[in-house]
Amino acid sequence: MAEEFEPRIVAFLCKWCSSAGSDLAGVSRMEYPPNVVPIQVMCSGSVSPLYIFSAFNKGADGVLVSGCHPGDCHYIKGNYYARRRLNLVKKLLEYIGLEPQRFQMSWVSAAEGTKYTQIIKDFVKELKPLGPQTKLRRNP
Amino acid sequence: MAKIDDLKEEARKLLREGKVKYIIGYGAGSNGWLAAPLFIKKPEDVDKLVWDPTCVHNLVRFLVDEKRRKARQKQPDRRPVGIMVKGCDSRAIVVLLQEKFIERSDVYILGVSCEKAGVVDDAKLAKKLAGKKAKTIEVDDRNLFVITTDGGKIEVPAEELLAEKCLECRANFPVIYDVLSGEKTKRPLEKPFGSVDKIESLPVEERWNFWKEQLDKCIRCYACRSACPMCYCDECVVDSIHLAVSVDTTADEKARRIKWIQRSAVPSENIVYHLVRAIHLGGRCIDCGECERACPLDIPLRFLNKKLEKEAKELFDYEVGFDPDLPSLISSFRDDDPQDFIR
Repeated sequence: MAEEFEPRIVAFLCKWCSSAGSDLAGVSRMEYPPNVVPIQVMCSGSVSPLYIFSAFNKGADGVLVSGCHPGDCHYIKGNYYARRRLNLVKKLLEYIGLEPQRFQMSWVSAAEGTKYTQIIKDFVKELKPLGPQTKLRRNP
Repeated sequence: MAKIDDLKEEARKLLREGKVKYIIGYGAGSNGWLAAPLFIKKPEDVDKLVWDPTCVHNLVRFLVDEKRRKARQKQPDRRPVGIMVKGCDSRAIVVLLQEKFIERSDVYILGVSCEKAGVVDDAKLAKKLAGKKAKTIEVDDRNLFVITTDGGKIEVPAEELLAEKCLECRANFPVIYDVLSGEKTKRPLEKPFGSVDKIESLPVEERWNFWKEQLDKCIRCYACRSACPMCYCDECVVDSIHLAVSVDTTADEKARRIKWIQRSAVPSENIVYHLVRAIHLGGRCIDCGECERACPLDIPLRFLNKKLEKEAKELFDYEVGFDPDLPSLISSFRDDDPQDFIR
């Protein structure tokens, strides 16, 4: 019997909130699917659209960008820039024909370990029926 | 189309008084009907300027080259450059001013209004001509395109020959200028984003198939990048040049360098290249259609850029290329930007 498809998610987590939030989920021993590859970035505003395209290009089945809640950014307004820019990225990816579920964005604060686990659980659940992402993937 | 006698007079005066370094305009092309970019340095050459629906080029690209040339010279000539612009081209100048790439004093803008017409689409023209060779194309008073061929004249309604970008153009007159020829007439628009709507209405898989088929054709000649007045990065993401290669650089070292996008023209890489280009032009593309025109494989690149133009308008109420004092789309934000896609 074939193994169940396990999606691989690349998560860009901002250092000050989301990364700390995922840490909290870890130290609190909350359980969540092991499908995430977390990448710590200094701010969600520093996530270039190229990182996202490149992640898909190198085989990610889903990409998550997570930052501080609006108003809580360590750099005052980085997440506002991210919100505007990544909205365009999301629209463009949908326009080109990528399934809209594959790119997600979330606000997770350092105290929201449970929210982080919930987001990952939902994300994995949504990606499973879609199967592997082959559209933007580079052929080995 | 406007008559440009007053513009020629002004150009002659500018050159005679030495107020501009040179003037970039349109002249008769060497290949029949199509006009070609023309650089004028002497006042007596001003009569060579033409203005008809075949002036398709966006000359603003030459301002980018001019800036680079000036940067290389030890004692550059700081006089402004005269440039002939249509409505769309003038918006390109606005974006360059907005980004402080050029100064307002670097250019002397000779604006020409397309009035009710615009520029021709060569594919549509070729179909109409059916093998015949066009000599000149003009617009008459009734807004008909009159094509002169060896076998006589052909009259065609403007809508059948106009480029797609002209049919979706929101301001067919220059928004910034020093002299203006012609009137500021707005063409009534039924669907400003008609082409985008058509693709958006398709289901996801069909949309993907459409783009895959189109971008599969790309041979990565980068003509789109070379023709675009907004693609002025000193280093493009697809060909990094800043990594020095010395005699000591081993093959292993070169291989391990980050390549965001590989150079091979395979679908996955082409798509990422075009996505990156589209995002870089988000809120900057003024829809001059040069990328699409320059593309040797007729990839509808305009549809990608137009999509972001549409989103900028709908999500952020941002119109590209009208106000040089406005901050650019992605270097600004508002507290109430939409965030319904964020969890």
